[in-house]
Amino acid sequence: MSEAKTNPPSRGELLKQLREEHASSVERTQVLFREQRSLQQSICQMIRETPKTVPEIAAAIGKPSHEVLWFLAGLRKYGIVVEAGMCGDYPLYQKVEEK
Amino acid sequence: MENLHVDALVLGGGIAGMQAALDLADQGFQVALLEREPSIGGKMITLSKVFPTLDCCSCITTPKMSAVAHHPNIHLLTYCEMQSVAETGSGFRLAVVQKPRYVDVNKCTGCRKCEYECPVTLPSPFDRGLGAYRAIRVPFSTAVPQTAVLDIENCILCGKCEKVCAAGAVDFTQRAETFEIQATTLVVASGFELTPLNAKKEYGGETLQNVIDPLMMERFLAPTGPYGRVLRPGDGKEPTSIAYVQCAGSRDQTLGVEYCSRVCCMYAIKQAMLISGALPMADITIYYMDIRTFGKGYEQFYQNAQAMGVEFVRGKVAAIREDDEQNPVVKVELTEEGRIIERTFDLVVLSLGMVPTAGADGILSLPLGEDKFIAIPAPNANPCETARPGIFVTGTAMGPMDIVDSIITAGSVASAASAYIREHQKETAYA
Repeated sequence: MSEAKTNPPSRGELLKQLREEHASSVERTQVLFREQRSLQQSICQMIRETPKTVPEIAAAIGKPSHEVLWFLAGLRKYGIVVEAGMCGDYPLYQKVEEK
Repeated sequence: MENLHVDALVLGGGIAGMQAALDLADQGFQVALLEREPSIGGKMITLSKVFPTLDCCSCITTPKMSAVAHHPNIHLLTYCEMQSVAETGSGFRLAVVQKPRYVDVNKCTGCRKCEYECPVTLPSPFDRGLGAYRAIRVPFSTAVPQTAVLDIENCILCGKCEKVCAAGAVDFTQRAETFEIQATTLVVASGFELTPLNAKKEYGGETLQNVIDPLMMERFLAPTGPYGRVLRPGDGKEPTSIAYVQCAGSRDQTLGVEYCSRVCCMYAIKQAMLISGALPMADITIYYMDIRTFGKGYEQFYQNAQAMGVEFVRGKVAAIREDDEQNPVVKVELTEEGRIIERTFDLVVLSLGMVPTAGADGILSLPLGEDKFIAIPAPNANPCETARPGIFVTGTAMGPMDIVDSIITAGSVASAASAYIREHQKETAYA
């Protein structure tokens, strides 16, 4: 008697399996992503023309300063935002012009 | 993953683990280095500078990371978890899980195009959560291996990374793989963690935005830090007054951490000196019970900090609250003057202590000491031997110590482990 050979799962099957396994985390992350996108757009809109400090941005968009700073740290890291001088003890941030 | 047979397996890719692996491999032994994170480097690669020389940490650590990755006798196994260990009579047999990176390490060039394209931003543990990275990323700029890793639990499976990868390295079909390592001896280099920032509720850690831990300050002082400069995390203000609270996580019965963590005085002094350089107008005050500068050149380092204008105040901080402008207000008993004062700062750093990393000791069934670090039955005669024959320990898995001592114990453990392996080889040859 020969053993029945089982083919390894195809790429499509593995991807389907991955989506099923991670359905709840994908859903949760999509909610997070939408919130992040909205907040990042608000921040970038605020500093497109005029550079602003963290407290100024936070007051304008109604979010806590520490949260705004965290987003700016990320935007700065990926080259979307740069520092543009100081206003008192606070650095100013400005959106980089899109090419 | 193929099964491995090595002379020594080093558990942990921090500075002590890397040095032990290099010292063993240089003697001709086959070594496997197992690291649970996607990159080696440990805590040291996150630091700005070392005391007392103020040399750049990255400049010391990165060449060692590279040497480990390129050494012909070292098998570098990152993003792996040890599952079980069994004694075989001729050593140890470990079951190890290679966690999926969802990136083919043989194809990835570390170009980070996937990272720039990824739409999901997450707090970066490398920056103690104060900086950001993407769901797919190279862990940090000098990571070894310099390859991306995908956090599948925080991925929306949009596929943008896969589309943008010119090397075709992104691979959503990867799964965890279990493999086996047989080793004559084990070297535990599992490192340390800080005492939790919120351990002492009266200090406001994790509640007050401008009360931080010392590794956060290290990241602010590092050129690759989250803000590119020293800012307070609450609102992005450049601080003009900074306080250090010593013994905030050590020598404290209420925390169950009764020992001195040995490094807190020195890292606080070092950071104060670096802040003085970065923010020349800032006032820096260190509240201490007593300053312990035991190492070579450490007392001179302390005196240099005093000469630079760092204020050392003997006192015990009772509590920290916040005023209306997010400024931490420190209530402190000045023990030499016998009075209690309140003083407002822009930023407070809690000099937290060292506690052992949980994990390796449990799987290896290693007895712990009273301090919860791995017990060493004969610390004077055999300082790196654990209670289980064939298992050695190095670095801060032994107990609190600084980088200098971690490297010294790595040399010591390599010597002890090599003697054990040679003895074992002789026994095998005569058997």
